[in-house]
Amino acid sequence: MLITFGAIAIFFAVIIVVLQLSGIKDRDFTDYAVGGRSFGARYQAMSFLNTWYPGAMFTAFGGMAASAGVISFYVLSYSLLTVVLMYLMAKPVWIWGKTFNLRTQPDLLALRFGSRHIRTIAAVVGIISGVPWLVLGMQALGTLFQHMSLGTLSFAEAVMLGVAVIALRQVWTVRMGMRGVVISDMAQGIVAYIIGSAVLIGLIVWMVLARGISFDALDQKMFAIPSVGSAEGPLYLFSLILTGAIGGWCWPYIFVRLFTADGVESLKKSAALAVPLSLIFGVALLIFGMLGSQVPGVSAHPNDVWFIVSKEAGGLWLLGLAGVIVLAASMGHTDGNIQATGAQIANDLVGNYWQLGERQLIVIAKLGMLALTILSSWLACLELPALFSLAVLAYQGIIQLAVPQFLGIFWKRGNKYGAIAGMVVGFVVAVVLELGYPGYLPWAYGLTSGAVALVVNLTIYVAMAYLIPQSQAERRRVEELFDLIEGKRSAAAVSKGVREPA
Amino acid sequence: MSDDGKTNPNNHAAWIIGWFILDAVVALAPPIYWAFDRNRTAILGLPAVVTYFVAVAVFITASIVAAYLAEARSGKAG
Repeated sequence: MLITFGAIAIFFAVIIVVLQLSGIKDRDFTDYAVGGRSFGARYQAMSFLNTWYPGAMFTAFGGMAASAGVISFYVLSYSLLTVVLMYLMAKPVWIWGKTFNLRTQPDLLALRFGSRHIRTIAAVVGIISGVPWLVLGMQALGTLFQHMSLGTLSFAEAVMLGVAVIALRQVWTVRMGMRGVVISDMAQGIVAYIIGSAVLIGLIVWMVLARGISFDALDQKMFAIPSVGSAEGPLYLFSLILTGAIGGWCWPYIFVRLFTADGVESLKKSAALAVPLSLIFGVALLIFGMLGSQVPGVSAHPNDVWFIVSKEAGGLWLLGLAGVIVLAASMGHTDGNIQATGAQIANDLVGNYWQLGERQLIVIAKLGMLALTILSSWLACLELPALFSLAVLAYQGIIQLAVPQFLGIFWKRGNKYGAIAGMVVGFVVAVVLELGYPGYLPWAYGLTSGAVALVVNLTIYVAMAYLIPQSQAERRRVEELFDLIEGKRSAAAVSKGVREPA
Repeated sequence: MSDDGKTNPNNHAAWIIGWFILDAVVALAPPIYWAFDRNRTAILGLPAVVTYFVAVAVFITASIVAAYLAEARSGKAG
């Protein structure tokens, strides 16, 4: 226990020292919310990865590879496709962000659709949907700390310890805002995805060479993809990958990465840097999980495959390192979520209806982050049997932001009526369908509730775009926005009324 | 670098857009992944269905890296 908890303690201390040495002082709310748009490609790449892949990758997705096999690769497909979307969105989102000082995802929707109310709706959807995932992330630390205690702690005790550690870590997230998040993401990301990938590859080699494990020994069901005649339906995998790829950008803590870069080129370069790391990490993790299913003890506890195989191969030292890697990944995801939510509470909820100064916005964001940390820590210590279902429900709901977000960026038509109505109806349809048919819809060939709701949402958005044409003034305003992206107009030449009127 | 929107239109080269569309096709088109269902034939030392997913991942990765390198070289990345 001294070795495993010692490794965790040393890593935690190193992260805190890095943050303390960075000596961050935020001058204004833009500094606090998006790090003053000052980060280059390397920081951006690692920050994206550290926020995108939570610690649960090692437990939930490693476990899925160990129990269900090759279908788990869907997470890699959508994680890479989402970077393609990042590449395509980089220019419009960054330019609008810089020109209009946008600090959150709802800020962008409010600008594009000329509506302050869409800011509130998007923020409420984002914040509410994020809470179950935050709580799940905290609870996942219970698995980590139970293994680090070598089974001495009960699961409930391990969850409480995990929550205490991650809550303590939030002291620096609250104090330092986005700059603290991105700087620590670099250190945490190197541990989680570079050292993590190296350990995964080493463990694969160990399983193959020392244990003689190969794909030949795996059951045939481990190679199944839901196809025609399958229980899930032939479009199930399509639906998982599609909603995963476009849905990723609906999370406020992922989207805000587009505002933290120091330019469009940095964003594109960060995509090119992040994607090979993501490829190596994802392939290594999922192959590791599949092969790891043959290690004794894993079939009974597939979600523990990372810890079981690490301990088997390298004893307590490697188990300690495995714990540090999961903690590094968990910290990045949790910090990013809490920071983005705090910024939204200040900017999109309170600041949307009251005129607040820069210092007031920072104070409200900090209070919001503190309240969220306390709330989620408390919830994580409770037994909530419906929590995972709620999280899935939240995901199917939040991806409805995708329609106004992507069409708003890539299509000049479209208005606030279609955006709001599509999003709200899509959210309701997703929730109703998910409650009626959890997981997938048998009558829709395995499409998920969120995918079907996206079709409804899209239909409404497009129909409204044609049925309620933009006014002359609105068309001019939107033209000006797109002129900026296309380089036909400089930031200095943008009319005063381009920011949302009301 | 900074970018105030004065330079460079948002146009990506046609081959970049084409490759990105192909990314979506190979990753999402159901008939492609149906063809690999339960296929354990060894390709490059891995079962075919695993090779399919790895190949899709490499294809997408290559598209983004190639797009960035090409745009950076031609001064269109910003």
